[in-house]
Amino acid sequence: MKRNRENIPVTPDIEGVPRVRIALFCLAVPLLLFLSLLLGASGQGFPDVHSPVGKAILNLRINRLVMGLLVGSALSVSGVVFQAILRNPLAEPYVLGVSGGAGLGATLAILFGAVAFIPLSLPVAAFVAAVLTLFLVYGIASRGSGGSPSVYSLILSGVIISSICSSLIMFLVSTASADGLHSVIWWMLGNLQPVPLEQRILSTVLIGAGFIVTWLLGSRFNALTLGREMAHYQGMNADLIILGGLLAATLMAATAVSIGGMIGFVGLIVPHVTRAMFGPDHRWLIPLSAVSGGTFLVLCDAVARTVLAPVEMPVGVITALAGGPFFLMILQRKMKNAWIA
Amino acid sequence: MSVPALSIDSVSAGYGDHLVLDSLSVQIAKGEFVVLIGPNGCGKSTLLKTVAALIRPSSGTVRLFGEDVRKLRPSARSRILGVVPQKVESPMAFTVHQIVMNGRTGSSLPWISLSEEDHGIIERSMIYTDVFDLRDRYFMELSGGEQQRVILAMVLAQEPQIIMLDESIAHLDINHRYEVLRILRRLNHEHGMTVVLVSHDLSLSSEIADRLILMNAGKVIVSGSSEEVLQAEILSRVYDCELQVQQDPLTGAVHVTGVLDGVNKGSERMRPVHVIAGGGTGIELYRRFGLYGYRVTTGVLNRMDSDAEAANALGIEAVFEKPFSAIGDGAYKEASEMAGKAEILVVSDVPFGSGNLINLRLAKEALDAGKEVWIAGGIAERDYTDGKQAVGQVNTLLAEGARTWTSLHDLMMELKRV
Repeated sequence: MKRNRENIPVTPDIEGVPRVRIALFCLAVPLLLFLSLLLGASGQGFPDVHSPVGKAILNLRINRLVMGLLVGSALSVSGVVFQAILRNPLAEPYVLGVSGGAGLGATLAILFGAVAFIPLSLPVAAFVAAVLTLFLVYGIASRGSGGSPSVYSLILSGVIISSICSSLIMFLVSTASADGLHSVIWWMLGNLQPVPLEQRILSTVLIGAGFIVTWLLGSRFNALTLGREMAHYQGMNADLIILGGLLAATLMAATAVSIGGMIGFVGLIVPHVTRAMFGPDHRWLIPLSAVSGGTFLVLCDAVARTVLAPVEMPVGVITALAGGPFFLMILQRKMKNAWIA
Repeated sequence: MSVPALSIDSVSAGYGDHLVLDSLSVQIAKGEFVVLIGPNGCGKSTLLKTVAALIRPSSGTVRLFGEDVRKLRPSARSRILGVVPQKVESPMAFTVHQIVMNGRTGSSLPWISLSEEDHGIIERSMIYTDVFDLRDRYFMELSGGEQQRVILAMVLAQEPQIIMLDESIAHLDINHRYEVLRILRRLNHEHGMTVVLVSHDLSLSSEIADRLILMNAGKVIVSGSSEEVLQAEILSRVYDCELQVQQDPLTGAVHVTGVLDGVNKGSERMRPVHVIAGGGTGIELYRRFGLYGYRVTTGVLNRMDSDAEAANALGIEAVFEKPFSAIGDGAYKEASEMAGKAEILVVSDVPFGSGNLINLRLAKEALDAGKEVWIAGGIAERDYTDGKQAVGQVNTLLAEGARTWTSLHDLMMELKRV
């Protein structure tokens, strides 16, 4: 029996991961997901599946649930990866400019009407723009550093590029027609309206691929939190892992942005809470964050469509309202401890 | 003869255009305990990083047990060579056990748990470095010494054959330092582990090492036993300051200490010195002469020159000319009078042009008056006058009894001897 530092027996762990908590978590998730099906703008309670209206409502809610799981898990896992690689508790897709770039690409696709004519143009535009942004950020940060940029220059150039992207989006929005304006604004606030089937399938494949790559790299991320140099000494190709991790995380974030719009703070909150609950071992943290991030966003969406029913709020408003204070809390703790839970 | 554990053949390496290692060669045998010493910036850490393939050498090769380190796969390299950096931090709340596990999980897939053997190795590593009782504590909450032992345990879990430590113990208290050293010595004795330690503590190094390697300016200066390497003369030159070496007659331990007496109190050394400098070449001379209690004067300097600023700041008596103009007769006469009171005249490695060539006439006057004159070597490289007039004048001065100096340390020693 293991004992903690006061020499009191503690719960047996799987290599330091609390088993009991994981079991409870596995029970809670399906319950919470089912609960979200009971909430909606059309009223609380399980829809009557025998009437055509009830069927349609249930169908719609299930679609929203799938969207929420997809977007929430993608944003959370990419947040986990960015925080591990950059060794910074405040890192997330937004900080690196990735979300901003994806947003700019998607805005261009919407405003120039490509979305209406070319299927899948939205996710493709978002991903291409996000990758270009990542390379731009990485390139600016690498200048004069011999190819491997410091974390600080990465974050600094990420923040700069990110704000340039949002200025460009604002510019495009301000010159857009009233019709385009509405769809861009609605999309920018973040929402989980179901997207066309082929886009949903493509997004699932892309996010799934990103998830598998990052999960496979889990133990390398553990070593990378000790620094690029230490990871190298541990026998890893640190630069390749950093690049691969950044690309996979970018793919996931860009795909999430292309289907859910700019939903902020999920990539920040979920990794922190999951780490506080289950510890920082990335072999576990990545799948657990995917599940908890998906569930969190599904619940936020259920709240968004219920509180002002029958008016529906964009889910991004709820996550931002929850995320802002949380962000401050982390900052405070970071200042006290210099390390994070 | 067996293959050396570590063989470095004429390796040059650095950062960008700045070369830190200058065609350095050294071999370390299996089972040796070697301590690398040398002043800051001499290239010790760069050497370690080059050996660990973190830095690509611009020429030369590094071999681990005969294999080119750049051709080794990273995972194979990590089973031969373990490195403990100066300081390792994690931004996340990993426990000690999880940190040490990194030594085994580096290349494992997420769904494969560690084997019994892996767990055994992790446990043994923690016991060996005495962190087993800390295994459920958070790494970042531990003291510096404990953290260093945890990292050592993680590196030992790689089961390397060579272990290198980069000043990892420099910031530890003496008790923690000895604790880590004891672990290293045990590894070396019991397991034949080859140990390469970078250290600043010369006395401690002499106690523990089979061999000391003294580096300076990217080269190996001398390599051998502590008696061979820790000689006052060699160390004083490399560290560019006066050092004394004493051997304890009881334990045989070597103590290297700096010389503090003489600083600011050698009243017998209150000999007046006049320094001819400019462009920042005089700052170190002023500082060092002042520190050793000489009465320093200097000139002629142009105002706003960095030496003029330094002389002002240090309260040194000086003669100034207007900024950016040639030295005039007025200033020269004043300086001549001032230098006349000095017993020694020192010319720094200041470049000479038509504007300040006249300062060399001060040296001529001092020499004619039978005083000691010291001129920095290498005048040809800093003579910008037409027809190399400065070179001609300096050669005449040298022929008439002036002497050259190259290192400040040697100059101070020579002056002290007189």
